[in-house]
Amino acid sequence: MPNDALRDSLAEKKWLTALANGDSKALGGLYELYGERIFRYTYRMLGNRADAEDATAETFLRVLRRSGELRADGAFRTWLFRIARNLCIDKLRQHKLMELPLDAQYGGSEDRATLRVTVQQALDDLPIEYREPLVLCDLEDMAAKEAADMLKISVPALKSRLYRGRRALRDKLGGSWERK
Amino acid sequence: MKNELYSKLVDLYAGRELPSEMEADMEAAASQDSKLAHDMLTLRTTVDALHNSMDDVEFTEESYQRILMKVYARGVELQQVNSTPLHLQYYLPIQG
Repeated sequence: MPNDALRDSLAEKKWLTALANGDSKALGGLYELYGERIFRYTYRMLGNRADAEDATAETFLRVLRRSGELRADGAFRTWLFRIARNLCIDKLRQHKLMELPLDAQYGGSEDRATLRVTVQQALDDLPIEYREPLVLCDLEDMAAKEAADMLKISVPALKSRLYRGRRALRDKLGGSWERK
Repeated sequence: MKNELYSKLVDLYAGRELPSEMEADMEAAASQDSKLAHDMLTLRTTVDALHNSMDDVEFTEESYQRILMKVYARGVELQQVNSTPLHLQYYLPIQG
């Protein structure tokens, strides 16, 4: 695993340098590195595949547009997720996604598909300040420091929102747990 | 007294952030305290449900290609750095 992290870090540096030198094709390298993670993050924030694909594409286009701000100093990933986050928030505001049907496509069993839709609906019902820490820390397994940096809040504030978010999610899902 | 402390640690218990000895102590205390037990169980179940229900958002080949096309459509070319070599893209039966 550390080898993978080192390899990714070297690849990131290589593509960022290429992009800073005006090589727009370097964006493809960054998409290979981070496309899947950004897609998963936006999917969890937005709740459907089509919007997640749009947000992922727009995230990388914004990276290209703002490539003058890029620095290969290890903060790129946080910056990239922040762009994706802002796009998700815009989309949630503009399109009132709560009214759109959730994407229930899933390759697993029916029970898990049902659970997934139930949890996604409960997640979508949470205020954004609770949903974000849950998606970043519990679903993306992002370290608290990195998630806090991304959200521009302190680590204690992040933890507080995370714990409140979990409790709020539990309350939304309450009926399901009480029956078990 | 100890249960007061444990009730403040439920969030850490739910996220599996406590040492195993502390978890065991809390579980033992919870067997005598139904409110604490309920809090511990439901919160951990919530965190587990999050992990179990959402850990497999699949980044399909179709999604990968659609995102590429959306970017191409905006006039930007993405260099595919890890594309599979042509000879590995199709299954060829062994001749024999």
